[in-house]
Amino acid sequence: MEEKERFLQPASPEERRRYYREEWNVKDIPDFISNSIIQREFGFDHMGRGPNDRYRVFRSMDLLRKFLRYRAPFAAYSSVAFYKKPRRRDGWIKSELVFDVDAKDIPIRECGCAGVCEICLNQAREIVCSLMDTLKGDMGLKDMHVIYSGRGYHLRVFDEEVMELDSDVRGQIVQYIIGAEVPKNEYAQDGMTYKLEHFTIPFGYPKVFTQRTKYAILHLKDHIQIDDINKKLLKDAIKNQDILREDKWGIFKGKIGPQRYQRLIKSIASLNMGLVDAKVSIDLKRILRLPSSLHSMVSMKCMEVKDIGKFDPFQDAVPKFVFERKSK
Amino acid sequence: MVSVAFINPFSEEGRQIVRELGDLNSVYEENGDLIDLVIHSRSQDISDDESIPHNLIDLAIKRLEWYIKKKNNPDFDYKKYSYLYNPKITRFDVIAFYLLSQAISVKFGPNSRESRAMAESQGKLMESRLGELSLRDRKHLLSTILGSLLIGDVKWTTLGDLLSSRKIRLPDLVMSHGNLILDEEEFAESFQDKLENRDSHKMYELLIGDHIKELILNKMIMQKTENYITDVYKKSQRKVEPNPILLDLADRISEVLNEPIISYGYRGTEKKMEASPFDTEAFPPCVKMVLDGIKSGGRNDAIILFLTPFLSYARLYPDVFRRNITLKVSDVDPQLEAVEKEILPLIYEAAERCTPPLFEDQPQEKVNINAKMGFGMHSEIELKHEGETTWYTPMGCEKVKLHLPSLCKPDEICKKIGNPLSYYIRRLNDIKYSKNSKTD
Repeated sequence: MEEKERFLQPASPEERRRYYREEWNVKDIPDFISNSIIQREFGFDHMGRGPNDRYRVFRSMDLLRKFLRYRAPFAAYSSVAFYKKPRRRDGWIKSELVFDVDAKDIPIRECGCAGVCEICLNQAREIVCSLMDTLKGDMGLKDMHVIYSGRGYHLRVFDEEVMELDSDVRGQIVQYIIGAEVPKNEYAQDGMTYKLEHFTIPFGYPKVFTQRTKYAILHLKDHIQIDDINKKLLKDAIKNQDILREDKWGIFKGKIGPQRYQRLIKSIASLNMGLVDAKVSIDLKRILRLPSSLHSMVSMKCMEVKDIGKFDPFQDAVPKFVFERKSK
Repeated sequence: MVSVAFINPFSEEGRQIVRELGDLNSVYEENGDLIDLVIHSRSQDISDDESIPHNLIDLAIKRLEWYIKKKNNPDFDYKKYSYLYNPKITRFDVIAFYLLSQAISVKFGPNSRESRAMAESQGKLMESRLGELSLRDRKHLLSTILGSLLIGDVKWTTLGDLLSSRKIRLPDLVMSHGNLILDEEEFAESFQDKLENRDSHKMYELLIGDHIKELILNKMIMQKTENYITDVYKKSQRKVEPNPILLDLADRISEVLNEPIISYGYRGTEKKMEASPFDTEAFPPCVKMVLDGIKSGGRNDAIILFLTPFLSYARLYPDVFRRNITLKVSDVDPQLEAVEKEILPLIYEAAERCTPPLFEDQPQEKVNINAKMGFGMHSEIELKHEGETTWYTPMGCEKVKLHLPSLCKPDEICKKIGNPLSYYIRRLNDIKYSKNSKTD
């Protein structure tokens, strides 16, 4: 079997059974799940048609272990929410703050592939790193766990001060960390108005926006189509990418032209909304793929990433049965 | 020195004033001290006795009237309300504030038009009062009140309520490692080494300075006002009979709030908006996009969560947000004719235009459309099921951006509104206005 055909192919029911019986270990489920198992709702997809077996609860890790071993589901999920009565999704206590970065949905993808590939998965990894920097540097959040989901990453935040926040605040956090709006560029003091472009302000939201915009511009390619950015503007932005690598924003803006620059950053701000799936972040009762479970659609392990700098999904998240497909 | 209660009625000084009030019935008694203070306030117009509050209930009404007239009346006369800017009025003003808040709590409750008006009027009054004070008094009050509301290192999450109600937006705040940066020293310590060739003081003044502190203070007091109304409302639910003085005041509050609808109007926007057939020309860009069919992911959210509430409210109850009264579909469309002949066909056509057509692979979603209009989880819309589910109100623009970011392609009007339904009303009025102008 060819190398690329081995990876990212759906797992057969037999492969799923082998995974859960021979490779999977209940100890691979992170402590943040096992320590709160009785407060979480679990959901399963048995046929590959979506997680319609929901409202499941497990009183112990051993019961969960037996369930997964025996049923070898197509996909397994657990809630981000903690409940007093998880079987009825009742008595909400708190929810993890979650950011879902899916490689196939990244708005500016260098690869242009149809599904996911090494290039866009690496982009997803870079995006997660930058989101973590903002959550830590600006918002002071520390208790973060990165999960490789099979086709991207889940960033799960457990700092107590954000776990009780409602959907509206979570929505604002998403918009802040992804740079979803162009910062204002006029500031007033004592009746005078001063113009300050986002790239001249090295802190706060303007800094976040500058970082996300730089990332987007540096990943622009000829084949990418963006609303309100015509071919000439795209070409000029790509031509001047090197200027931005050295953070010479003023020169870059000058080369593009002030009005076209505004158009460019406005379009990028709107594209940034696609960096994470905001619906996941604002949904307090979402179920997320269970770390250690199998993403059967692509035959990848959903797993906690301890060192995101060194993580390589094609090395670390491929189940053994995929490598053994070769010998068939 | 100006009392902190002049700006913050929730301060200890403010509470002390309330404790000293004594008999509630005294609020109707002619108050010579109050009248004297009013007529001796700088710039106060005393030519019309109607402008002068004679007792604390009068003052409470004037306080709200000031906000409503200032907001709606192009000929608003500032001199009729000068006493409201006089710091000496504090001991009466605080009582008036609590009378208004309690009356609104017991009669209208939280999340009402009256409750919103109360919080907004408090915010506007604080803003105007701070603006009238000397710089020294203003800075002193700002630091004293903020110092009592925000103690020690302030985490941004402390402002969770304000962020949740969008009174404050995260991009307006400057944060470092979770702390809200408000003081210049903190600012310098956090960012000075990043500010190459820039004047740290100037940057602080421009990006934070007193304007962000005032914004936070203002919004915190507004939030406290809303929370207070909620608390009193909850307590009042346990009591059998509210005080008649408060109920009487509540009726007068309604009259004040209804006045702009009767007197001013704005090309019809303050008038009651009746149910009327669709004018698709007035639909916002996001709705037009969904009506053309969704080509990729998000079909369900676009048709069920977004389009169904929008179309049903646009057709049947367009001024739901302004009137703030909960209705059922059948209250407006008793025979469900508009639902069946106008609303559902538009929704179904949009669903059909999706790729793939929504009901082709998910026919069960028709039930969800019925549910979002309040008719329960049933395959047919029937009056006997109405009320089993809630008639969903249309998503606001912020929610659309989060749920369905690809739909948000704002035009010039979008910048002025916060909900696609407001866009529709605005455009309807514009279209009507321009037709009338042509006729004239």
